[in-house]
Amino acid sequence: MFKPVIKSALCAAVALGFATVSTTADAGNDRFKKVLERGKVVVGVKADYKPWGFRDSSGKLVGMEIDMAQDVADALGVKLELVPVQSSNRMQFLQQGKIDLMIATMSDRTDRRKIVGIVEPNYYTSGTNVLAKKGILKKWADLKGKPVCGKQGAFYNKIVAKRYGAKVIAFVNNAESKQALRDGKCVAWVYDDSSIGSDLASGEWSGFEMPLNSEDDNPWGLAVPVDEQNNIWGNFMAGMQYRWLTSGRLIELEKKWGIQPTAFLKMQKDKLTPARKHLK
Amino acid sequence: MLGAKYMPGVDSTPKTDLPVLLPVKESARRGQLFCDMGGRLFLDVKPQHLVWLMLVILLWSGAAQAASKYGVVWQFQTVFKWTPFILKGFALNILISIFAMVIGTVAGAALGLMQVSLLLPVRRGSWVFTQFFRNSPWLVLLFSVMLLFPFELDLGFAVIPVPDWTKAVVGFSLPIMANISEVVRGAVVSLPSGQWESAESLAFSRRQTMWMIILPQCVKRMIPPWINWYCILTMATPLCSIMGVEESVTHTVQALNAEGDKPELLPVFYGFLLFIHFVFTYPIARYSIRLEKMYAVKI
Repeated sequence: MFKPVIKSALCAAVALGFATVSTTADAGNDRFKKVLERGKVVVGVKADYKPWGFRDSSGKLVGMEIDMAQDVADALGVKLELVPVQSSNRMQFLQQGKIDLMIATMSDRTDRRKIVGIVEPNYYTSGTNVLAKKGILKKWADLKGKPVCGKQGAFYNKIVAKRYGAKVIAFVNNAESKQALRDGKCVAWVYDDSSIGSDLASGEWSGFEMPLNSEDDNPWGLAVPVDEQNNIWGNFMAGMQYRWLTSGRLIELEKKWGIQPTAFLKMQKDKLTPARKHLK
Repeated sequence: MLGAKYMPGVDSTPKTDLPVLLPVKESARRGQLFCDMGGRLFLDVKPQHLVWLMLVILLWSGAAQAASKYGVVWQFQTVFKWTPFILKGFALNILISIFAMVIGTVAGAALGLMQVSLLLPVRRGSWVFTQFFRNSPWLVLLFSVMLLFPFELDLGFAVIPVPDWTKAVVGFSLPIMANISEVVRGAVVSLPSGQWESAESLAFSRRQTMWMIILPQCVKRMIPPWINWYCILTMATPLCSIMGVEESVTHTVQALNAEGDKPELLPVFYGFLLFIHFVFTYPIARYSIRLEKMYAVKI
């Protein structure tokens, strides 16, 4: 009952927001220049997505993507300011100019590319899967007509609802959706496969399993303002990502933050690393 | 004995068959004491009450997951670890509520007086304005303000950043303004018309009557609803967590995430939020009674 209100309010407000933002946005390298002028880059990161972006008990933002943001600031020779973002507001923050760069576990989708400047090569990937009680689910089609818990702002909520006819109940955060799964309010919890994998590995979910084949393996994208995608700022971030992938920095960070090693990072490293035979 | 001097016939059954008239003052005093005592049960927050409250939360979180391997002690240790961080968020709730209340009260008082104006356009206009903001969902007002306001103001010579929480202040002060407007209007209207008439017969002008006779009497009547609205506002401030303002609920969610989003921690963390909101709001209700006595004007 509450959610439609939030949604419609968001829609109306976002529409109004667009109207005011589009008149003030300017093309070119303005943002990049501004970053250098003020000697500070403002990066939007997650504060509720362990271990990519979360708080330590002193309140400091830490995580894999925060380390990446620090790398960017170091490469530019400027100070780093972190702004915590949520899935529902991260693109608006970038559009409004509140943040210069967004590294916030965002899946790279066509509709999102129209709003923000997602820069290649993508730095990470994850697929969609579900956590469910053992023996209940065998295939995705089993979800038809059943209640499935999810997190607000995840793109695959819609896909699971459309493709498999599941009734998605989206919660604001994961602790609530997990509790709902335990209470039996939903048959499954739909989320990133890597995250579900680490939950199962923690041993706190005996009696539960990840029964389906991961779907929609989707690369993650960091983003600059859409006007700067093909200018200095966008090209700089493309270069940063290329270096992260080829130098093995991301594999190193993955290890540092205890993330299960993904095949994607290893594959990208092999694929993008140039054969330097001619140098020998 | 209530600490008073023993009075035969008052503190014990009268030892006479004759009808006894109790002293008026004494019975009034006893009534007052009775009220005070009854009231104290509900209104005086003492350390032991907080202990009781903690115990309820403890039982609550304990009952919520008796079968879990994460015990109650561990849960409380976890909350304790995150307490400074959550309290830092709560400080922002208080800050937002205070600023929104100040702005809402000043604007609402002006709007309320406009509602009792003798000029029809002013009266009608302020009525429409009040009704619009009074009957809009708080969340919608909050969304509109937060998304419409810029994140920084460029004045040409300086760029002033506009942090999210200041936008939340504006968003919350709008419904408060409208409701305070109704409180002021209601208080003015509630006074017997004899007050106006006798003031007129003593050659007070309308402005003098309002400032010197009507409003001083209104203050007492307005204090309870005013404090009520402050409490409601304080309890509504977590709404802005939806917009990513870094207040207590946002911080709690982040703390829960940092602890691995364990459902076992939900009751104890949200119980703690409940606790700090209660500890802040309840003494204010108590204080409102004292304020009421202070501004009491006998008619």
